Amino acid sequence: MRPLDEKETTAVFEKLFKFTGNNLKNIVESPSHEGPDDKPGHYCFRLQKNKVYYVSEALVKRATNIDRNKLVSLGTCIGKFTKGGSFHLTIQCLNLLAVNAKHKVWLKPTSEMSFLYGNHVLKGGLGRITENTAAGDGVVVFSMSDVPLGFGIAAKSTQDCRKLDPNGIVVLHQADIGEYLRMEDDL
Amino acid sequence: MGKKKKVILPPQLPPELKEDEIEVSDEDVQFVKENREYAGFVSKLDTQSITRHVTRVANKKEEEIEALYEKRIRKNRSLEKENEEDGVQVDPVDALPVKTLDGKLYYRTMAKESRKPEDAPKEDDNENAMSNEDNKAAKSIVKLTKAERRAKLKKSKKEAKKQEKELTKTEELQTNPQAEVLAEVKEEISAEEAFAMKKCKLAELGMALLADPESNIKFLKEMLQISKDEDHNIVKLGLLSLLAVFKDIIPGYRIRLPTEKEQEMTVSKAVRKTRYYESTLLSSYKAYLQKLIALEKQPSFQHVAVRCICALLDAVPHFNFSDNLLVAVVKNISSFDDVIRKLCCATVKSLFANEGKHGGEATGHAVHLIADHVKVHDCQLHPDSIEVFLSLTFAEDLGRSELSKDAGDVKGKKNKRKKNAEELKNMQVSDRKKSRQELLAKTRAEVHADLKAVSFAPDIEERRRMQSETLSAVFQTYFRILKHTLQPTSIRSKVNASSVPGGFGAHPLLAPCLDGLGKFSHLIDLDFMGDLMNCLKKLACGGSSSDDSPENCLTVSERLRCCIVAFKVMRSNLDALNVDLNEFYVQLYNLLLEYRPNRADQGEVLAEALKTLLCEGRQHDMQRAAAFIKRLCTFSLCFGSAEAMAALVTLRHLLQKNVKCRNLLENDVGGGSLSGLVAKYQPYAMDPNLSGALASVLWELSLLSKHYHPSVSTLASSISNMGTGHSQAYLSTVYPQQAFADLLIEKESFDIKKNLGTLSRKMKSLRRSSKSSCDTCIEYNTKLETDDEIKQKLSNHFIVLKGIAENERLRKELNRTVSSLKLYEEYKKQKRKTQGDHSKARKKKRLSSV
Repeated sequence: MRPLDEKETTAVFEKLFKFTGNNLKNIVESPSHEGPDDKPGHYCFRLQKNKVYYVSEALVKRATNIDRNKLVSLGTCIGKFTKGGSFHLTIQCLNLLAVNAKHKVWLKPTSEMSFLYGNHVLKGGLGRITENTAAGDGVVVFSMSDVPLGFGIAAKSTQDCRKLDPNGIVVLHQADIGEYLRMEDDL
Repeated sequence: MGKKKKVILPPQLPPELKEDEIEVSDEDVQFVKENREYAGFVSKLDTQSITRHVTRVANKKEEEIEALYEKRIRKNRSLEKENEEDGVQVDPVDALPVKTLDGKLYYRTMAKESRKPEDAPKEDDNENAMSNEDNKAAKSIVKLTKAERRAKLKKSKKEAKKQEKELTKTEELQTNPQAEVLAEVKEEISAEEAFAMKKCKLAELGMALLADPESNIKFLKEMLQISKDEDHNIVKLGLLSLLAVFKDIIPGYRIRLPTEKEQEMTVSKAVRKTRYYESTLLSSYKAYLQKLIALEKQPSFQHVAVRCICALLDAVPHFNFSDNLLVAVVKNISSFDDVIRKLCCATVKSLFANEGKHGGEATGHAVHLIADHVKVHDCQLHPDSIEVFLSLTFAEDLGRSELSKDAGDVKGKKNKRKKNAEELKNMQVSDRKKSRQELLAKTRAEVHADLKAVSFAPDIEERRRMQSETLSAVFQTYFRILKHTLQPTSIRSKVNASSVPGGFGAHPLLAPCLDGLGKFSHLIDLDFMGDLMNCLKKLACGGSSSDDSPENCLTVSERLRCCIVAFKVMRSNLDALNVDLNEFYVQLYNLLLEYRPNRADQGEVLAEALKTLLCEGRQHDMQRAAAFIKRLCTFSLCFGSAEAMAALVTLRHLLQKNVKCRNLLENDVGGGSLSGLVAKYQPYAMDPNLSGALASVLWELSLLSKHYHPSVSTLASSISNMGTGHSQAYLSTVYPQQAFADLLIEKESFDIKKNLGTLSRKMKSLRRSSKSSCDTCIEYNTKLETDDEIKQKLSNHFIVLKGIAENERLRKELNRTVSSLKLYEEYKKQKRKTQGDHSKARKKKRLSSV
């Protein structure tokens, strides 16, 4: 377990910024009430075996007691670095993103299942979309009853969505909560 | 008419009697001799009038018309008499015949042409002339039009009867002697008489024109000549009477002057006459307009000129030179003068409303002109100038019908293709049949083309084109205003310094612009939508956030309006896609804090914003809804009953829609997993999504249920029961706007009557229970609105204070008396002792002495 170096930090923050915009500040600065201290600590990012964890400082202190090879996980895993060096968000960070999301997409109940099986979001399944989403922005996908289902990348801007035919792809799938079942072993 | 004659005649009788008196009156002479003073005074006056009467009566008494004339002149004369006695003494004799001659000639020619049919109308004409004159003195156009109407009827009758009879010869006959006479008279008569005369002249000319425009068209030039007078009043009268004439005689078509080639051709008499008529009319109209436009720049004539221009544009927008009129009107559309501005705006509005008059051409032109005007003046105009756009109407069916037609055409083509195929199949169809079909189609097309050319309805395609151009100009203006508002002040102030310092406030055009955008939102092209939304978003954020100079900031109500318009635009274009306007919700969330009822922030706008953003929206995030519920509840604590009511109505609506948010009504603090990552309520959060409002409790409702206003308190208590009670049959038809308006109306009556009652009751209870809770104290304080209540409260307070002071004083007195009593007792004791001692001593003394 070690803190991220500069290059890794930029990679992680860029990815998070895509989804949260200026709310990234909240993620970094939000106080943690873990541990025995009365004074609230902060959260920080730690790298362990190519995975990036979002951990409270109190937990980090305690985790130093454990041998690096034997430490399996700590805090919340938010993503992993690939062999090529790029950073991917994983589904576990969904809660973090959903609270601070800048662009949201709500799915119609009929198309929820399709998304949870790992398909892209089509225009026909779009219930609602945040205004002025640009193509390439990170989008968090919700059900109509505000349950976060996953996240992805917007394929079209809001304006273009109007003209799109119902079978056009609006959001490119990145992760969904179906992965907890489908890819239980990998996570 | 007979009646009228009789009414007019009687005044004429007295002169006749006078003649008799002169012969008989010996006794009178005696009387006069006795009192010379009277006589001297009378003789001066009487000789003139009597001589005049005598001559007149003797010469031509037969005609009643002349009697009328005499009367009129006599009036003028009698006025003048007092001023000049000897100088005029010769004049009456000359002038009178002149006058009568004038009238006589004028009427004789008329009478000669058609005695029988005209006898009665002539009389009427005269009356009209008289009334016209009077009207002009009062400078009212309304009455003029009445006279015109009558004249119109006559005119139509006459024209039918004697169109061919009258030729230009008669005109010459009329005009030549008139000119001569005019020249003579001008030299002699004084200014005042000239004024009256010109007035009469104008009236006569006007009447003649109205009576028969075709033959008397030349009079127009004469009237123009008169209106070039130095006297301002005459000019004004001339302009107004010309206006009345033009309004009446301008034909319902645009005059096209014949080309040279056409002029060379020989034409029939009738055609030549019409041409002459039209060209004269057009040239004098042109001269008139030039004069109007020139006078419009002079401050003393501005009102009259603008009124004339507006009336002309309103009445004859189809006629030649209407473009020039439009230019003049648009130029004055944001005038500082209220009267002129209102006139111009009303004219433009009526132009927009009655498109049938000019076929929509003028509308487009006017809109373009206004757009240019806005551009030139850098958006520093009076709001009225943009508000006129609101009365524009765009027929939406035009496009649709076209589309359906296209579809029909396509179908037809398909059908034809099928037919062709069939025909190809059935090659054996005879040639004769085929040729006949072709012929049929050909004739049908020809007939169709003819019909199109003849029909009055303008071409649909043409109208569509014009409409789209107009629309684009309107939106261009709107976007220009928005852009201008977005500009930072630093840049704008430079521009303003060079241009006129507009006294219209920072963004005068924004409000009507937003209104217009809201109204025409369904017509905005989707391509503009993105830019428009960005613009509105920046405006809703409070203009340019870079520099926070106070004048650059938009007011709260303006920003609220931006939000409303954004939602309207989105909603009216919301066919397929449900877009969530998060940014505007954030703005509204923050604007709620900035709202101050006494800072000219309009509560109506706030109520409308609450309605459009929160009540009409389909779904909301749970977090956002909770944040709004919490904030509205806090908001309603701080403001007047009307605002509180609007907020509470919205709140109830939100709670009904979002069942999960009813957790806020529970007494336990929620939070935890429900409120997401934000575990604690943060009242100062800028983003409703991050406020964590679900972790809070709506404690404000219990305070509100003690609100002094009964309807607020009942609503608050009903909302707080919503969580527990399962009867969901609430009637939520009331919208915040309505609630706000209701309470505003009720406020006045309520404040005086009910408030006092409840207040006094509460005060009593307060006084009785000395330990008042803090919150009731706050409530108590907020309610003291009127001076009387404050006085009452203060007096109560002072009574209590006085009581306490009195008590203390009494107690002190009591203490003092008690102490004095004690002292006295002690003194008594001591005295007794000393007395005892003394007596003892005395006794001892006595004893010793004894």
